[in-house]
Amino acid sequence: MTPVQTALALLLLPLATALATALFFRRHAAVGRALSLAAAAGIVLLGSRLIFFTENFTVTAEWLILGPLTIKLGFLVDDLTKLMLFVVAFIGFLIHVFSVGYMKGEAHAARFFGCLSLFMFSMIGLTLADDLIMLFIFWELVGLSSFLLINFYYDRPAAVSASKKAFIVNRLGDFGFLLGIILAYWAFGSITLADIAGRLHTSPELVATSIALLIFCGAVGKSGQFPLHVWLPDAMEGPTPVSALIHAATMVAAGIFLLCRVGVIMTGDALTVILWTGVVTALFAGVTAFGQRDIKRILAYSTISQLGFMVAAFALGSLVARRHGLDPTVAGVTAGAAAAMFHLTTHAFFKALLFLGAGSVIHASHHEQDIYRLGGLRKKMPVTFATFTLGTLALAGMPLLSGFFSKDTILILAWQHSPVVFGLLLLGALLTALYMTRLWSVAFLGEARSEGAAHAHENPAVMTIPLVLLAVGSVFAGYQWFYPEVLAAVPTVALALQQGDGHLLVVVCGSSAFVLGAVIGLLVYRPGAAGDFLQQRLPVLYQVMAERFYIDALYDWYVAKVQQRFAMLLNFLEQVLLSGLIIRGFAGLVGLLGLGARALHTGSLHAYVYWFLLGLVILWAVVAGLFNLS
Amino acid sequence: MNIGLNDYLFFSALLFAIGFFGVLLRKNTLVIYMCLELMLVAVTLALVAFSRYNGTMDGNVFVFFILTVAAAEVAVGLAIIVALFRRRQTVQVDELNALRN
Repeated sequence: MTPVQTALALLLLPLATALATALFFRRHAAVGRALSLAAAAGIVLLGSRLIFFTENFTVTAEWLILGPLTIKLGFLVDDLTKLMLFVVAFIGFLIHVFSVGYMKGEAHAARFFGCLSLFMFSMIGLTLADDLIMLFIFWELVGLSSFLLINFYYDRPAAVSASKKAFIVNRLGDFGFLLGIILAYWAFGSITLADIAGRLHTSPELVATSIALLIFCGAVGKSGQFPLHVWLPDAMEGPTPVSALIHAATMVAAGIFLLCRVGVIMTGDALTVILWTGVVTALFAGVTAFGQRDIKRILAYSTISQLGFMVAAFALGSLVARRHGLDPTVAGVTAGAAAAMFHLTTHAFFKALLFLGAGSVIHASHHEQDIYRLGGLRKKMPVTFATFTLGTLALAGMPLLSGFFSKDTILILAWQHSPVVFGLLLLGALLTALYMTRLWSVAFLGEARSEGAAHAHENPAVMTIPLVLLAVGSVFAGYQWFYPEVLAAVPTVALALQQGDGHLLVVVCGSSAFVLGAVIGLLVYRPGAAGDFLQQRLPVLYQVMAERFYIDALYDWYVAKVQQRFAMLLNFLEQVLLSGLIIRGFAGLVGLLGLGARALHTGSLHAYVYWFLLGLVILWAVVAGLFNLS
Repeated sequence: MNIGLNDYLFFSALLFAIGFFGVLLRKNTLVIYMCLELMLVAVTLALVAFSRYNGTMDGNVFVFFILTVAAAEVAVGLAIIVALFRRRQTVQVDELNALRN
């Protein structure tokens, strides 16, 4: 197989199984499961071939020619692609295996696995895409598969409205993305990434900044950045493996991947906006997590917060590299892309682990998701507890675990950029350690607080083995030797960035944030406590956090009171002007003509003869030139 | 008394007018049909007269064709009227108004 054939096979394999499941095996859970699992395994095999045995390449083919616009489809396989593909293929496979156990006994499992394959297809296409249009197509496809999987339990109203919310909020961001593509085409005459990079200097600063920020809008929507983060916590209504795969490890990280892909078109102003969006998101979501009781929602806010870190990392890396006049690309990977993708990779491991651990807990305790109704799972679910603890420590940034290294890179870049950003991100890291300790202590330690938790027991190996493998990744993904040589570019650059100014200070600060967060967390959220500390001491503050700072309420108000009224006004205008005046008006006119014409058909032969005569006279008059007045 | 072209044409016009007003005013399909034939014959007469006046055969040739076609037309037209009468028991045009509404 040539590299192109490998890439095509890799892309089309999950699509084929998704189609087969959709067309023939909708009612056959076992067949759908086997097909999807086979596709995931095939993706690992073909993906490995592409990652380990193929040089970087790019290939394009013309797809559509619309006048001067030629739309090309093609594959771009470089170090970024390979790392992303590695994450998608391997973590995707582990989550597929976990799903086999999690979805046991589910009547509609075939639909679930079919959608999962569809998602893998879309995500791989997104990873391999070489121009903005192809990126956008697969970008929408991952959104579609996310929508389909969030409302997997379509008989639950909450799941249905969550899926709609996810779709609509993403549409807002995608609209900006599309405008960015159009503007890029207008400004540069091309939508291929390489062409845009080459013609960047031909365009004024303002246009380039606008393009960068519009494309960033897409990432804001997909990666749950403030203020479009509202869909991600609600998306937890989907089955837990979906939350792990789509809403933690891969799809939401697509926004980060997009930023790294289009990194060349960034300008200083755009990067500053992106930086602050990331910082605000990281802090805001970190604080909101304290007001949540649902284990998956806490993890969702944690995901948003970490995505904020990644976005900030991208901006910080790019800004610092520019300021120091560094060669922006080391081994084909820019500093910003390296910092962001490194955190993306480690985060994919431990967040997938945490979500699968949460899934394991939920599955064992008969769908109990409230952490204050769990508890005492330490003894009952030893494997889940051990792996979840490792994931928690990695996310909280315990030294020598993966999260520590990737967060260290971000913090050191922040230190080099500005002390304010550094302080804020350090606070974010402290919050991370704190809310994860709260979750871990309340849900696993102490005594069981509900029937379901009391009767929980460890899940079968098909669910625990993926946990163990992900735990291994969570522990070691921060080391350069963990990565095979072909994937090492990103971690190498990211770890090299740490050797800058103030390394020692940042390491000390980062470790202190972890220790402080964990200690305060354990003191405040004591194992076995009956209620939430904040809820008891500061009920007003807790209420604000639990209501997610009223941002969802604000959106609801806006939609109901402003947008709905505007829509009603438009509807009124449409009814009166378009439907009433124009459509009914023309129809009435034609009807009137018809009425007149019908009157001519009297049914009397003599009348027809008179009409015939009249016609003859008119014809004669025309021929004789009577009407020809000039 | 010398009968000239004008007399023929006058007679032809008279015949045509009788036929024309017959078509317009009579109610019986059969009579209308006969009036139609009358108009045809009036035109034929005019053609023969012109042919004779000009001393050429063009008009006569036309007349032969018109007579042939008219014979065929009579066969078809009468057949239609007979079929119509069998079906409706009437040939009055007032009652043949199926096209109305």
